[in-house]
Amino acid sequence: MSDATVNDAAKTTESTTSEPLGETYLDKFPAEAKVVRSALYSSFLALALGGLFGVIQTLHRTDFLRIMESETYYTVLTAHGVFLVIAFTIFFLVGVFTWAVTTSLDREVEDIRFTWAWLGTMTAGAAMAAAAILAGFTDSLDMSADVLFTFYAPMQAHPLFYLGLTVFVVGTWMAGADWFRSWFAWKKENPGERIPLPTFMVLTTMIMWYVATLGVATAILAFLLPWSLGLIDSVNPTLTRTLFWFFGHPVVYFWLMPAYMMWYVLLPKLSGGKLFSDPLARVVFVLFLLLSTPVGIHHQYLDPGISEGFKFIAMTNTMFLLLPSLLTAFTVVASMEHGARQRGGTGRIGWLKALPWRDPVFAGMALAGLMFAAGGFSGMINAGMNINYLVHNTLWVPGHFHLTVGTAVALTFMAASYWFIPQLTGKKLWNRPVALVQVVLWFVGMTFMANAMHRAGLLGMPRRTAEPQYDGFEYEAGVGSVAELDAQIALGGIILTLSLVLFFAVIIGTVLGSRSDEVPANGYADTLSGPEDSPKILDNLKLWFGLAVVLVIIAYTFPLLSIIERGGLFGPDITAFPQSIDIVSMAWLTVEQYATDTFTSATEVAQATIDGVLR
Amino acid sequence: MRISTEGLLIVLAFTVVLVVELRTVLAWFNLELTVFESLMFSVALIVAIVVWALFPQDGSRDTDASGSS
Repeated sequence: MSDATVNDAAKTTESTTSEPLGETYLDKFPAEAKVVRSALYSSFLALALGGLFGVIQTLHRTDFLRIMESETYYTVLTAHGVFLVIAFTIFFLVGVFTWAVTTSLDREVEDIRFTWAWLGTMTAGAAMAAAAILAGFTDSLDMSADVLFTFYAPMQAHPLFYLGLTVFVVGTWMAGADWFRSWFAWKKENPGERIPLPTFMVLTTMIMWYVATLGVATAILAFLLPWSLGLIDSVNPTLTRTLFWFFGHPVVYFWLMPAYMMWYVLLPKLSGGKLFSDPLARVVFVLFLLLSTPVGIHHQYLDPGISEGFKFIAMTNTMFLLLPSLLTAFTVVASMEHGARQRGGTGRIGWLKALPWRDPVFAGMALAGLMFAAGGFSGMINAGMNINYLVHNTLWVPGHFHLTVGTAVALTFMAASYWFIPQLTGKKLWNRPVALVQVVLWFVGMTFMANAMHRAGLLGMPRRTAEPQYDGFEYEAGVGSVAELDAQIALGGIILTLSLVLFFAVIIGTVLGSRSDEVPANGYADTLSGPEDSPKILDNLKLWFGLAVVLVIIAYTFPLLSIIERGGLFGPDITAFPQSIDIVSMAWLTVEQYATDTFTSATEVAQATIDGVLR
Repeated sequence: MRISTEGLLIVLAFTVVLVVELRTVLAWFNLELTVFESLMFSVALIVAIVVWALFPQDGSRDTDASGSS
């Protein structure tokens, strides 16, 4: 078939919708649709705030527009990080996971009040943490949380920040319990059945999350929160950092696995085909469950206090993580090729033209996947112990994660929103061409920004600073100049902001629209090779949970013991920065003052009475 | 049109990646382009792609509206 014929075939298919119309998620699960909608709206609010702080700090750092003092930079950077990588991503994924479990098990949640309860808990936690962060903008409140997403000690936040994060994580645990409860109920009614793929993906991701959050829960509840409350004088920074990264690396996969789920269960369907292999998808999620947590030390290659041997083991484990990502690349591309050939595509690469590029949901996810490949390559540099020394703490690292979480995850979520919002509202997507321009703009903006960040990192330009230029020192740019890199970063930031504006225009336009019968039916991709082709052991979640715990014990026992032996549980007497908010001491002082005042007044009254009696 | 408007948009997006990365790659071969040269090259490439895309196939004007819907 000639290219022209391929084109014509693709056009004919594209001119009609590639998805059948029918019963939407809202029609089938109206109560759950409300919860999912609320979760997505919460995530969009976080995206708007995080994006706003993103462009402010980008223009400040590159010195193009400064609307704040450099001291405020860390408040802005903390808000940018926490709102985007905690609130935006996790609110979105809990919505998607609820959709996945209810749709694939074809049953409502067991108790919608519990579902609302976990969403309410997460919202309360997010609001508490957000209040502590945003209070950093004003001096009238004795509260701040300028500790960035990683909240490393000795930087200290107001207790409300730690408390908010804890409540938020507890909300996610409750959400997981809700989905497991649905699965248990389904299993009782369907004995011997294989777990439907989307539910399998949700459950393995949540097991990984339960294991991973033990680290951050310990760091916060045993050390950082009591320290910020003034209950303990000091913490061991190496210990709390290690516990943070125990959680900090798998959280990356907590963001990424929902995006992978979209690529596995939606992208093949949008391409017009089927998922190439259900068994491979299951293997990928099991591998992520096993390998995500015991690798966190690769974020600490430059930390003193952890021996090189432990770091080497973490590096080796990390390299194994490439396997599920490469399997995903193969399976997803094979599924897309199958879809394209169903649409009339031919040739070794000619089939690419038959894909539904005019569909913003497809185009956004495909572009996000492509960017993820680039992010994966720069991630390999980060993971290699010796090469990491070259780029550690430089702008290379933000360049890397703007490709992964900032594009692979964020762009996939934005594109998926164009599919989910019509499902949840029963309204047709407002202005598909604008939506397409939006996803393309994100891709282009991130190309400019991430390329310049990686290159600046290679020059040794530091991350996490408002003032990357130093007096009397000039970076030697291999290609171009630092000014060009700054311009490229700022240009990228502006294009990304424009893309965000368009995203909200499309979402608001859709939500404000009227109900339509032209919304595609709810569902997910069928498979070419189904679960019957995979060994049943893949569905043995107890086994994978047990193995994940064993791997974590092997990877972390000796490093943690060694850190505690060297620095103690509470470390040397470190000084908190910016200040210690000693609530207990303040409360005691208040009580003491009140008691003294009361005693003085009582003494005066008694003295007056005695004087009166004596007279 | 040889390709749809949406297809053209995607091709142009990939072109941006190409021109942004090409400057670094060329420098490896001691071919250092200034910002101005790089911009000129980008504009020329984009114009060439747009002209190719808009040029009617087989010499006849393509009246298929699906490309711009």
